[in-house]
Amino acid sequence: MSSTEERIRALVDANLDIEGRTAGQPLTMDLSIVDAGVSSTDVVAFWKVVCEEFGVDISAEDFAELLTPGDLIAHLDAHAG
Amino acid sequence: MDPSAPDRWWEPFTQIDGTRIIHVDLAPHASREAAGFEQLDTAERSRSGRFQHAPARRRFVLCRAALRSLLCTHLNCDNARLSFGAADGGKPFALVDGRPVEVGFNVSHSGRHGLIALAPSGRVGVDVEERVPRRDLSRLIAATFGPDERADLAALTGGDRVHLFFRLWTLKEAVAKALGTGLSFDVSRFEIPAAIRSGATGDLFRVPQVRDVQWQLTDIGDEQFAAAVAQEAVGTSA
Ligand SMILES: CC(C)(COP(=O)(O)OP(=O)(O)OC[C@H]1O[C@@H](n2cnc3c(N)ncnc32)[C@H](O)[C@@H]1OP(=O)(O)O)[C@@H](O)C(=O)NCCC(=O)NCCS
Repeated sequence: MSSTEERIRALVDANLDIEGRTAGQPLTMDLSIVDAGVSSTDVVAFWKVVCEEFGVDISAEDFAELLTPGDLIAHLDAHAG
Repeated sequence: MDPSAPDRWWEPFTQIDGTRIIHVDLAPHASREAAGFEQLDTAERSRSGRFQHAPARRRFVLCRAALRSLLCTHLNCDNARLSFGAADGGKPFALVDGRPVEVGFNVSHSGRHGLIALAPSGRVGVDVEERVPRRDLSRLIAATFGPDERADLAALTGGDRVHLFFRLWTLKEAVAKALGTGLSFDVSRFEIPAAIRSGATGDLFRVPQVRDVQWQLTDIGDEQFAAAVAQEAVGTSA
């Protein structure tokens, strides 16, 4: 089973259009996806994809605090079953 | 055209009551970006350096420099005296000589279009989106819209559905941006008034969860983009 980081990287590659990023490249753990130029529509879609993929229910309020890959992975490792 | 006139990449777009909406041209343009960068303060320059990718940096620099110019004119101050802070939730506010000033403004950018809303007082929120078709439309609809909005969207197909999606999205986002809550406010918890959903350009509106303030909500989209503005209505508290 792949690590949370690998799963998030695959979801980023499939769902987020980070201009200049090539699929498979390591994620910058402390770069907010908002600062990477991702629009709010994509952020909201990504939020839902992460919830579906990991079978978790993250509130909008919580997700707004998890906008870097590092924070998101730490949250999922602590909460996903 | 006067060759000595400074190059401006923004121009008036529309006006609603006292609130001016300015359009910012975000097409790639190296000399404008360089001129815009010159206007930024240290904090803004370091922020622009953190964008890893050119289009996101360009949108920030061109919009922020236009915003600076507009606010300096409105507040009658030099660019060097103007700076920005961020409220809880991230909404920027203006300071002159380090002190917060009474002016409502908000910025939005999407693709080649930026919009700046400027209100003499009260809170304001603006949102613009280029109508790019999306493969995950259904997921976005489920995440952001309430039951009546979803029913309206379900009744449409193809381009009409995409059009209503972006119309409703920008209206909701304008309200959320006026409130300043950022992404933490789940916008599926309120619905755009039926009158606007069925075609009216604007209406007065209260967010059920924040009843003490009434908003003038207006669709300002055109053939190039969807856009909306929410401004605090004066003298209308509950
Ligand atoms: C975070 C957010 C402001 C970014 O939105 P976006 O559509 O990607 O970006 P926009 O171009 O419209 O707006 C960005 C500008 O808004 C301003 N802004 C930043 N935080 C803000 C906030 N909390 N409230 C209002 N304006 C804000 C900034 O000026 C920013 O531009 P700048 O950084 O270049 O100065 C926006 O997603 C938001 O507040 N959304 C409302 C809530 C929402 O959509 N929820 C969905 C369900 S979770």
